[in-house]
Amino acid sequence: MFKRVIYQEWANIVPIISFVLTFAVFAIATVRALRTPKARREELARMPLDS
Amino acid sequence: MATTTITYDDRSVRRFLSASVIWALVGMLVGVLIATQLSSWQMNGHFLEQITKPVHDFLNAQFGWHWWPYFETKGFSFLTFGRLRPLHTNAVIFAFVGNMMFAGVYYSTQRLCKVRMASDRLSSIHFWGWQAIILAAAVTLPAGLTRGKEYAELIWPINIAVAGIWVVFGINFFWTLAKRNERSLYVSLWFYIATIVTVALLYIVNHLSIPTSWVHSYPIFGGVQDGLVQWWYGHNAVAFFLTTPILGIMYYFVPKAAGRPVYSYRLSIIHFWALVFIYIWAGPHHLLNTSLPHWLQTLGMLFSLMLWAPSWAGMLNGLLTLRGAWDKLRTDPVLKFFAAAVTFYGMATFEGPLLSIRAVNALSHYTDWTVGHVHSGALGWNGFMAAGMFYWLAPRLWNTPLWSRTLANMHFWIGLVGILIYVASMWVAGIMQGLMLSQLAAGGATLEYEFVTTLKAIQIPYVLRSLGGGLYLVGFLLCAINLWKTARSGNTAPVTAEVTLLEREKKERMTLREAFSADPVIYFMLGLVFTLLWFFLPPHADKAAFAVMVLLVAKGVSVFRANSHGWSHYFDRLLENHLPFTVLIFVAVAIGGVVQIIPSLLVNRTVNIEDRLQVPYTPLELAGRDVYVAEGCYNCHSQMIRTLVPDVMRYGPKENQGYSRLGESIYDFPHQWGSKRTGPDLAREGGELVAGSKVMRSGPRDNVWHFNHFIDPRTSIGSNMPSYGFLADKATDFKSLPKRIEVQTRLGVPAMTKDTIEQGAREQALEIATSLVAGKAFLPSKPKLAGDELRNHLAESQLIALIAYVQKLGAYEEISTPARQHALDPDSRLRVATPPAPGTPGSATLVPQKSSN
Repeated sequence: MFKRVIYQEWANIVPIISFVLTFAVFAIATVRALRTPKARREELARMPLDS
Repeated sequence: MATTTITYDDRSVRRFLSASVIWALVGMLVGVLIATQLSSWQMNGHFLEQITKPVHDFLNAQFGWHWWPYFETKGFSFLTFGRLRPLHTNAVIFAFVGNMMFAGVYYSTQRLCKVRMASDRLSSIHFWGWQAIILAAAVTLPAGLTRGKEYAELIWPINIAVAGIWVVFGINFFWTLAKRNERSLYVSLWFYIATIVTVALLYIVNHLSIPTSWVHSYPIFGGVQDGLVQWWYGHNAVAFFLTTPILGIMYYFVPKAAGRPVYSYRLSIIHFWALVFIYIWAGPHHLLNTSLPHWLQTLGMLFSLMLWAPSWAGMLNGLLTLRGAWDKLRTDPVLKFFAAAVTFYGMATFEGPLLSIRAVNALSHYTDWTVGHVHSGALGWNGFMAAGMFYWLAPRLWNTPLWSRTLANMHFWIGLVGILIYVASMWVAGIMQGLMLSQLAAGGATLEYEFVTTLKAIQIPYVLRSLGGGLYLVGFLLCAINLWKTARSGNTAPVTAEVTLLEREKKERMTLREAFSADPVIYFMLGLVFTLLWFFLPPHADKAAFAVMVLLVAKGVSVFRANSHGWSHYFDRLLENHLPFTVLIFVAVAIGGVVQIIPSLLVNRTVNIEDRLQVPYTPLELAGRDVYVAEGCYNCHSQMIRTLVPDVMRYGPKENQGYSRLGESIYDFPHQWGSKRTGPDLAREGGELVAGSKVMRSGPRDNVWHFNHFIDPRTSIGSNMPSYGFLADKATDFKSLPKRIEVQTRLGVPAMTKDTIEQGAREQALEIATSLVAGKAFLPSKPKLAGDELRNHLAESQLIALIAYVQKLGAYEEISTPARQHALDPDSRLRVATPPAPGTPGSATLVPQKSSN
């Protein structure tokens, strides 16, 4: 097995980092989605129908 | 405003659609064939003898036609499960879904961009190049030419062709985006961009190899590194080849078919970014409870669970787009297929995270439960989305109504019943076998069932699986007939559209510098950096980093509140500038790969091994290993004893060897941990050196047992393994061994003396062949051979090399490794108080203590 000192300690930290990262991306996407003006949303949503 | 008339390139769409249908039939037919092989070993080729021999006997008896041809075989090499299963998976993934994806992308991209595809020549190269690749795969895989990695089996020249054609596709796509007459990028195009970028990244990294000949190579990763890279790729082949492009197709075609816009554009934004960012991290859930480092397993499980949210966001968005159109489901086959497909997407993406929970995975992994899960996605989600899209497109591509809506409806119901039978039977088979394999006997000290007993117990579900798959294939046959008739009754008149030319001012264009120097990006990246510093810096410095991070967040919020319009405008401009948008997606998907893979790649591998180190293969054993890989044995046998009590009790009890350690497979290029156990685990199948021999080994079962078992696996009553008697008449390629070993040495395997490679291999082969002749081995294909003639014949054969390999499995050395900190240790500062033992050299040394297996 690879030395635990190199790998196993990451068990404590990497999931937290990853979760923080993901939550940040999720939060930004959500804020952006919620703040998109209604008219703009509808315009974008209709693009397939207008094509 | 200036307008122009454009003519869409629908010829490419028709071509890809037609190819997809043809390859679907091929891929599914092979799938049904290999499904029957699991319940009837005769389907590996012996069935041809069972059909033709009685005919020959009848004609010979009645008319004296002794010349009437017939087959006499226990099985054909090119029809074995191990060779055909990769053909099935590659045909379905890359040929069926690949061509379907290209049809959908070409059709919708032109309409969403209001422009014809950028280059007809590139479209043609893309189409014909892709079909040539599929044909090459259809020839090489049954011939046993493979890299031995799931969904990445194609040999290296074809890999290069795939990368080249993918680049052609990418250039054509992005060139089309650049020429578009529509300011914004619709969400479908986001998914297509993510697909093109990520598949290229995954494919290239997982296919890095060093060739040993025109048809053979070794991957540059081995052991755990190869396992990690393989399933980073394998899982994301599902994510970015079978999911994201199909979601893009869903966001375009479902609104078109329902005649109403997508339910929530807001949800689609969240769906996209969350999915693209999270998916890439989930690969390690394919290696739960193995010797993969625990933190990676935790990460894989955690991110798989998080996938529930964006996946269901997508499913709900798709289904709710049908709001107000549910009544059409009674009559419209297109909407029926779409509604069922999106529902299967929801079910499969619920089941996936469930199976990624370590405790659930302990039961499900290596069983048919996983196979059922995969097929609910492939048949339900991919297959039904494809069918819905085909039925919607055909009338528009050939300017005529669909030939038969009744036939399309019949396809739907036959296919649906087929999927349900298939998936339910695989649930039953998987859960039952998983429970049986861990069932303890009375007293609790031994296991209740032999492996083969559990295999016999799931034969009825296996037969039902073939029935379900057969029904699904029949449904697609109806689809092919329907589309053929539709095409024959219509015409291919070009479709034109009047569009307004988009004149983009220079100030609207966003450069990469602008994209990455904007406030939202700067504050996000700085916040991220200081969050990481907070985690990693030593005491007190970490508090300072935390304080800076808090200040940055506060400042970011304040800037956002002062200039929220600017931040919103930034995102809008990003959607109008596809290159910065693409780079942002690349960054999002690359982060996951970097965090997971880089730590395991940078470390000097051998010096970091503790407790056990694999004994390198002899030249003949390596030749046997290459046969094992070529025959696709990994499709049914694992080489990984998991850290679970039932696994250890079944496969690792000898001398308390326990579960598989990382070091036991460190010289395996590629790794062969496997993903399914149709047969037992083989990690410890080998044994000690035979007394008096320097190289020949013998495990719990001796050479003669293995020889007889390969010739006729029914020596284990109830086994469904194909017969490998043909290997006794195929010669080992001794001449290629020096080159192969040279490449292995470059990859880090201890070097061998070049001059003795071929000679050593021949001597070991002769020793094994001698033991077989002494053990009264009989070769049915050469019944007259005996004594020295038989020995010399066998010594040249691949079967002997394979036996040598199998008898080596599990050989390792016990080692002691002086602890030494490396730069990658995030907490090395905490260990300064533990100096190396006196006399310990700077680097770790391997001290063989005893040889064991």
